[in-house]
Amino acid sequence: MMNNKNEPDLTVNIGKIELKNPVMTASGTFGYAEEFEPLIDLNRLGAIIVKGLSLHPEKGNPPPRIVETPCGMLNAIGLENIGIDQFQKEKLPFLKSISTPIIVNIFGKSIEGYADLAGRIDGVEEISGIEVNISCPNISAGGMAFGIDPQTAYDVVQAVRDRTTKLLIVKLSPNVTDIVKIAKKVEEAGADALSLINTITGMAVDVETRTPKLANVTGGLSGPAIRPVALRMVWQVVRNVAIPVVGVGGIITANDALEFLITGARAVQVGTANFINPRATMDIIGGITDFLKKRNIEKVTDIIGTLKVSTSQ
Amino acid sequence: MILENAKVLWNKKLGPSYYKVGLQCWNSHLDVVPGQFVMIRIPGQMDPLLRRPFSIHQTLIDNGVVKGLEVLYQVVGKGTARLSKVKRNDLVDILGPLGKGFMIPRSARMVFVVAGGIGIAPLFYLISNLEKTRHDMHRPVVFLGGRSKRDILCLEELSKKGLNIHVTTDDGTYGKMGLVTDLLEKRLEKQLPDMICACGPSAMLKKVAVLSEKYNTRCQISLETTMACGMGACLGCAVKIGNGKEKYAHACVDGPVFDLDRFRL
Ligand SMILES: Cc1cc2nc3c(=O)[nH]c(=O)nc-3n(C[C@H](O)[C@H](O)[C@H](O)COP(=O)(O)OP(=O)(O)OC[C@H]3O[C@@H](n4cnc5c(N)ncnc54)[C@H](O)[C@@H]3O)c2cc1C
Ligand SMILES: Cc1cc2nc3c(=O)[nH]c(=O)nc-3n(C[C@H](O)[C@H](O)[C@H](O)COP(=O)(O)O)c2cc1C
Ligand code: FES
Repeated sequence: MMNNKNEPDLTVNIGKIELKNPVMTASGTFGYAEEFEPLIDLNRLGAIIVKGLSLHPEKGNPPPRIVETPCGMLNAIGLENIGIDQFQKEKLPFLKSISTPIIVNIFGKSIEGYADLAGRIDGVEEISGIEVNISCPNISAGGMAFGIDPQTAYDVVQAVRDRTTKLLIVKLSPNVTDIVKIAKKVEEAGADALSLINTITGMAVDVETRTPKLANVTGGLSGPAIRPVALRMVWQVVRNVAIPVVGVGGIITANDALEFLITGARAVQVGTANFINPRATMDIIGGITDFLKKRNIEKVTDIIGTLKVSTSQ
Repeated sequence: MILENAKVLWNKKLGPSYYKVGLQCWNSHLDVVPGQFVMIRIPGQMDPLLRRPFSIHQTLIDNGVVKGLEVLYQVVGKGTARLSKVKRNDLVDILGPLGKGFMIPRSARMVFVVAGGIGIAPLFYLISNLEKTRHDMHRPVVFLGGRSKRDILCLEELSKKGLNIHVTTDDGTYGKMGLVTDLLEKRLEKQLPDMICACGPSAMLKKVAVLSEKYNTRCQISLETTMACGMGACLGCAVKIGNGKEKYAHACVDGPVFDLDRFRL
């Protein structure tokens, strides 16, 4: 429905939450939002996903933590964060003043760690949802990421689901052989939505010194370089689950976001683009609006999942 | 903080690998503290992808209002090579001013400025700024070091200010042959400043840190790290701080200028 003669309707629903538009910020690329306040109108965003939080503060990896690679960047921040207590004390008061839904990205070192944190957040009224990062190492299982094994992924999500009635988004790792298998297990465990992809593990070497360019040796690749992989995974997953999918990976422009929406993502997240152009989210929202207007499409949901694939193939 | 496409006023070559680019800004609320930096990119390009950090070398003032800024840079890779190609009237996307600059206490009367190579970029602005705003202070003593004669920057402009300048080069092609920190130490033996301000390669900064401790002098250094956002959002610019306990500060918001008391090199 056109709320105004010219303005297309950009609202989308993710679980029980209605978003003004399908453009969210990706965790770890937008700080706690206050950093961007001098530059953009945070109230215009579809949702804000804050930096990944854990029960206790984490100091992160030694530097160098980032390195640029062709059309992308590697990061090994090491999940540095201030912990849930300080977040509630110092960051939440500002976030409360924004009309945009706030989604908290969480991670833990054990299944109990995830569940306890989800339980804590469940009681915080100002937080609209939880995004679970299952791409981090499971210490008790030798450091293999929770999100790599379908059963472990299931166990984490189920434990979190037991502790919260809030919107529950699960963020999938692309570093797996079969993302569809994991997606289905996570859906079965009670997730309301899936977001994909997290960064792709990579590395870079300085040939002069013969040392890795990151102190951590490996890091997560993000930016335009990963967009085709992210899009392919969204395409595979949307056809195999019933819950909404949020597309993430290398989205810089409205055109990039539209690729994901047409492929079937209900919403998108903008990550690395925030570093290059702090106004990227605003430009993308504006660009999607223009795209719909130009084609007289009344609402954004009319283009979601409208990819035309020739049946002869 | 501004985020805008600034117009290139000039992009002058100063030697084999050094340039100065003048940028005209439209926004007039440009309060700059010496030591602060801007994040720069060429609009519409995806490679290089990220912005690059550069210290503010000078503000361009028109009728008492800051109308732009100048960056002094060295070509070391893709981003700086691309920047060296911009021409008058081209647009350059800038974000800034960012970070914490030099804080010279009210009580300070004497400052030693130590620059290695391109490290003079923010320090030149500090010197000009002190000259303008701190008539109560003595003129700073300047130590300039570089690999070779061509790496000694801003010498003419600094000489015009009538400053006491000590120059060293690694190869002896200009000034004294040797390290800039050797001359600094000689001077410290005779006279102790209220503050040392330094910027340059990490080996030089380490020596300056040792000297400031040995002579019990306060010291502020400007650090270089890789940065993605420049505004506290990515946590990529971590630098180790504190004595003993491993703790990280973020150079883009907590720095790039750090007081050495807080810092361990
Ligand atoms: C706060 C801050 C202020 C700065 N101010 C200035 C300034 O005023 N003038 C200036 O010229 N530079 C300054 N720098 C350094 C500048 O940001 C880098 O030189 C620049 O990002 C390199 O980009 P590039 O794409 O040309 O090189 P890249 O392609 O990123 O790197 C190419 C090669 O250069 C090396 N390199 C990268 N960074 C540096 C560096 N900092 N110093 C020496 N070699 C490097 C890399 O290891 C690599 O081998 C500053 C950095 C910071 C953090
Ligand atoms: C510096 C940096 C930090 C990140 N931190 C987190 C994090 O804390 N939690 C998380 O789930 N994802 C994190 N991510 C992954 C992003 O949210 C996103 O999934 C990924 O970068 C791909 O999107 P992009 O190409 O648009 O950046 C981080 C990415 C970057 C670049
Ligand atoms: S450069 Fe991103 S936090 Fe400092």
